[in-house]
Amino acid sequence: MFIGGIALAYENWVGHALIAIISLLLMVYALTTGATLKGRIKRSSGNISKLHRKYGIYFGTFILGSFIYGLWIKLQHGEPILLSIHGKLGLIILLIIALQVLPSLILKNRAKYRELHKIVGYSLAPILIIDASWGLYNGVIAGTKNLVLLHSISGGLAALVLVWIILEMRYPTDRSLARARVASYLAAFFVTAGCWIAGGYNYLTSYGSQVKPVILEGPYPWAHEIVMEMKEHVFVFLPIIALSLSITLSVLDRDTFLSDDKLRRALSMIAFLALFMVLLMFLMGAIISNAGQIGTEA
Amino acid sequence: MKKSATLIASATIAIFLTGCIIIAHDLSPDFKQLLITLTGNHWTSVSMIIIVLFALFSGLFSSLKSMRKFLRVYDVRLWSTALLVVTLLMMLGIFAELAARYLAD
Repeated sequence: MFIGGIALAYENWVGHALIAIISLLLMVYALTTGATLKGRIKRSSGNISKLHRKYGIYFGTFILGSFIYGLWIKLQHGEPILLSIHGKLGLIILLIIALQVLPSLILKNRAKYRELHKIVGYSLAPILIIDASWGLYNGVIAGTKNLVLLHSISGGLAALVLVWIILEMRYPTDRSLARARVASYLAAFFVTAGCWIAGGYNYLTSYGSQVKPVILEGPYPWAHEIVMEMKEHVFVFLPIIALSLSITLSVLDRDTFLSDDKLRRALSMIAFLALFMVLLMFLMGAIISNAGQIGTEA
Repeated sequence: MKKSATLIASATIAIFLTGCIIIAHDLSPDFKQLLITLTGNHWTSVSMIIIVLFALFSGLFSSLKSMRKFLRVYDVRLWSTALLVVTLLMMLGIFAELAARYLAD
């Protein structure tokens, strides 16, 4: 019903994107409950197994809805289906989810299947992030530019590992600090190499000469004057924040990490700040690309 | 653990100073020109400046005990809150300056 409501409200890629974003949130929840079941995250009250199953099914349903929605949009526009990499990845994701959900519902003895279920579950997250970022830029830009795509995918992966850091901080176990360190190194890498260097190179080499004049001549010049100007400058704070979090975690000792609740909360705050900034940059990037697209059509 | 907030404190100060530089270069064409002269592009100069400031303050805090003590650089909670507040204020400041300039034009 929810997916149908979105389909009625948006008969374009925005609805498809909305369902995909909800799927991403459900995926994070399914991963969190899965990690809780395995003891990676401290167990809270309630039937976690039931929750994991329930949100896994919701996740699968939304992915199926997003996939059908995507096919519907393509057919509406008279375009060939499943030819793009975004479409093919979507089909692969759907098949993986079917392999994740169906045995869990059918098999009575799932002990042997658990390890595979865990590995495939964790692998699904980066694939979905890549596909979602790919789809976002396909929808907004129409013709995909490799560097912008790399920039966007890095941002999506950075958001994912920042969520991972926050979860390790909130539900600490003996190995949480080690995992939080790995996640923070990845966050620093994605933000610095993927977002800062790739995005900066694109900004210096093609944005100023190709996109900026189109936006300024188009109906939304504020997209450059305010949004892009803010994005390009505020962004430089983000790698510094990610690096400071990463190095702070690397010098922290495990006993202090586990015993000092307030310290973990303080570090979570920095991870939240970085996540907020990554999401804000995503939104700003979408506004700028959309303004460029409208400017080109005008 | 005495140096645990060194990087967070350095990031806070680097972000504050860089935020001020960003606002100043938008307000003053001469200052913007100076930044362009440094590396050929004002954005590249700002990127370089924040790296240099971050490295500089990290080095200072790591080597000077008196400075760490004076600025309570051992306090992760204090500096995490400062980082959050300073970053959000600088973002708001940059947005306000850009929006005001756009509306004035």
